[in-house]
Amino acid sequence: MKTVDLVERIEGEAKLICSWKNNKVSDARIDFLNFRGFEYILEEKSPLDALIYTPRICGICGQAHLKATVEALENIYENINEKIEISNKAKLLRQIGLNIEIIDSHIKWFYLFIMPDIIKLNSSDLGIYAPLKGKRWLEACKTASETIKALAIIGGQWPHTSYMNVGGVMSDPTRMDLINMQNYLQIAIDFFEDSVSGVSLEDYLSFDSLNDLEKLDKDMKYFKDLCFKYHLNVYGKSHNRFISLAESNLFRSGKIKQKIVNKIDLSKIAESNEYTFSLNEKENISKKHTWSKLVTYNDNFFETGPLARAIISNRRFIKELHKSFDDSVFTRVMARVDEMAFLINDTKSLISQIDLLENSFIKPKISLNDIEKASGLSVVEACRGSLYHKIDIENGKIKAYDVITPTVWNLGPSNKKEKGIAQKAIIGSPNIEIAKIVLRSFDVCSVCTTH
Amino acid sequence: MIDSTQMVKKIFTQKSGRVETNKGEEYYNSLFEKAKSRLKSLRVQPALRDVDIMDVLETEGVNRRDFMKWVSATTATLMLPPMFAPLVAEATELMNRVPVIWIELQDCAGNTEALLRSSAPTVDDLLFDVLSLEFHHALMACAGHDAEHQLDEAMEHFKDKYLLFVEGSIPTGMNGNYGTIGPAGETFQEHLMRLSKDAAAIVAVGTCATFGGVPAAAPNPTKAVGVMDLVRGKPVVNIPACPANPANMVGVVLHYVLTGQIPELDSLLRPKFAFGYRIHDNCERRAHFDAGEFVEEWGDEGAKNNWCLYKVGCKGPMTFNNCSIIRYNEGTNWPIGAGHGCIGCSEPDFWDKYAYQRPMANANIKPPTGGVERTVDEFGLGLLTATAIGIGVHAVASVVANKKSKEEEEK
Ligand code: SF4
Ligand code: SF4
Repeated sequence: MKTVDLVERIEGEAKLICSWKNNKVSDARIDFLNFRGFEYILEEKSPLDALIYTPRICGICGQAHLKATVEALENIYENINEKIEISNKAKLLRQIGLNIEIIDSHIKWFYLFIMPDIIKLNSSDLGIYAPLKGKRWLEACKTASETIKALAIIGGQWPHTSYMNVGGVMSDPTRMDLINMQNYLQIAIDFFEDSVSGVSLEDYLSFDSLNDLEKLDKDMKYFKDLCFKYHLNVYGKSHNRFISLAESNLFRSGKIKQKIVNKIDLSKIAESNEYTFSLNEKENISKKHTWSKLVTYNDNFFETGPLARAIISNRRFIKELHKSFDDSVFTRVMARVDEMAFLINDTKSLISQIDLLENSFIKPKISLNDIEKASGLSVVEACRGSLYHKIDIENGKIKAYDVITPTVWNLGPSNKKEKGIAQKAIIGSPNIEIAKIVLRSFDVCSVCTTH
Repeated sequence: MIDSTQMVKKIFTQKSGRVETNKGEEYYNSLFEKAKSRLKSLRVQPALRDVDIMDVLETEGVNRRDFMKWVSATTATLMLPPMFAPLVAEATELMNRVPVIWIELQDCAGNTEALLRSSAPTVDDLLFDVLSLEFHHALMACAGHDAEHQLDEAMEHFKDKYLLFVEGSIPTGMNGNYGTIGPAGETFQEHLMRLSKDAAAIVAVGTCATFGGVPAAAPNPTKAVGVMDLVRGKPVVNIPACPANPANMVGVVLHYVLTGQIPELDSLLRPKFAFGYRIHDNCERRAHFDAGEFVEEWGDEGAKNNWCLYKVGCKGPMTFNNCSIIRYNEGTNWPIGAGHGCIGCSEPDFWDKYAYQRPMANANIKPPTGGVERTVDEFGLGLLTATAIGIGVHAVASVVANKKSKEEEEK
């Protein structure tokens, strides 16, 4: 038997096609059927224009795209031995912006996107979690709106900011601005303590064992109890292989297959469009079924995202959960919520490290328009995982632009050798509700995936 | 692509789109009566959602004074005289009589995000509690086939009554197969046509839905177009910008509740109350423009002192929008406030014309007063003051922003 279902409450829509055997999903396919063609649009444009285009790939992770673009362009200078100077202040302001965007996204994702489905397993009345009217739903929205203001102060607005530029950032915050940013982050901390975890941020950050699960209160406890009741600590397991491409204050880069974290060699990343629709209609033969490409590292599929980051960066609590529950829905969602706590804490400290006397921007000596031929690439940890941008320029114009988003790692199609990450995780689900929760646990973004 | 010299020339010589803010007592009196009876008839209609705005505000700890502040600001945004404030307050209460269906097509969800980010005075409540959002793909409890049913039901039940909000452009290439939706694989175009047929009016939000947006940037691989290129025989309101300002979305709904009609539009179907004047007319850096104080390059002394961004590519003088007044994220900031120029995101073709790293300042242009072509620098900044660019627009917008005194306006 085959079923076709739709997954909404994500950015865009995904189609989930399941085959069933003995009342379990025996095979799954995920189709993304919306395409805009950003990589084609970027060709022949002036390199700096990419700073305007790429953030608009996604209304949720535009910061990540902006940062990836600016760093790919800066990498071009490095590759032609004209390394440019970026002040520490600019680096901090970029990282702070990105962190805030991820915090905002995690809050929303937990309450707006995944909780309703998990609660529905248990009751038809979502109560305070009901979209558009539940008290907690509204509180979560409000907290996200307040938190993102910390970014709007330096970015000018959110979504779709453009404050980063090759050579630094355009914003020059004042002492007052920094204080306001800290205050907005405090709202996120209060929400985390009062409603998300029910424990103080400090206590939470010290969690390092399975027993600490018992200390959770409020929504994380509610979530945990429902997970155990409906076996979400068992469902949703994939290849148990993780990758994280970029480094930051908080995150390490690396890949992990068994136990040991290995260094990344970006040249081992390979993209394929074997199953991906083409702009040339004649090439759309029957095996092509989605606009998403697939991406492998050293010929293997790897999961990216908060769970991968927690494991590779050695965050104790999540590593302990992973030991007992592997890469299940439970662990994956916990990793995302856990990351929220670490990021808020980290971001507060980054803001306090800003030296207002430093320059925000240092002009590069030569213009990108004068470069004959060069390429640059960058990796960034975005809300949903590792984002990769590669840009080739020729005679001052973009020759080719390649974007590999986190969701392509997690939700791209299978290849001949093995199942894709999310597909493998869905197989074995006992019903369509669980199958959709497993899919959702990857924080699906259709528009990013297909761009 | 338009040649930039030509463009700049056109911009500095074109007439400003003058917005009539004072249409005379007679006009407003009759509108007032009309609105009153409209609200009266709405009041007797059953509420689609059983929520009382005053209760909601009270439980959220918003006091009446804050609410009234919001009401008078909104009345001004809608370019209505203060006597309309009580009616706007009432209309806010009655927003739950107007059903809204929101669909996402070839988009990035940026406008949905912007909407979620607006809450003054907890517009979260205004929009989510009071406004009857009957369907929104990303913001609802149901999903999958349930969602399909909910959409069909809402369409059936509110036939000819609902406002259809559209986010995202529509791909017309490859028979529409660049974007399909639902189990049957309906194309975005078919979806839009089906839903707009029974709508009272269609509101295109964001530059994608209005003018095609970034997906329509050259070479427009999917042949993306905006709503107005496809929908015929129905009122269409465009709220461009990338993302569109939620204040303007609320404004359009309120205007509809208040009068039963869509607001007055310009030739690009944009509500005049929001797009009747330029960014530049109310920019906080305007005094520096007039004084000839410019940021010459990012990070210089001018940048540190918040001077005008024109020479580093600000498109504020060419861009019609009200963000210099209402800003973003509940008034927290806006692009120029953070130090980078306006990219003209609410103008058609902004993606190909204005992408921000192309200053217009060194293009040769003809002074509006005639004479030899010179660059902006050469022909003197005095010329580019309010007088030359269009005092009409500037004055009107300033009145809206309550910046200018009455005497000044009369002169
Ligand atoms: S107009 Fe801008 S914000 Fe809106 S959907 Fe298009 S790119 Fe996204
Ligand atoms: S050119 Fe731009 S920065 Fe300068 S005054 Fe006009 S809108 Fe403001």
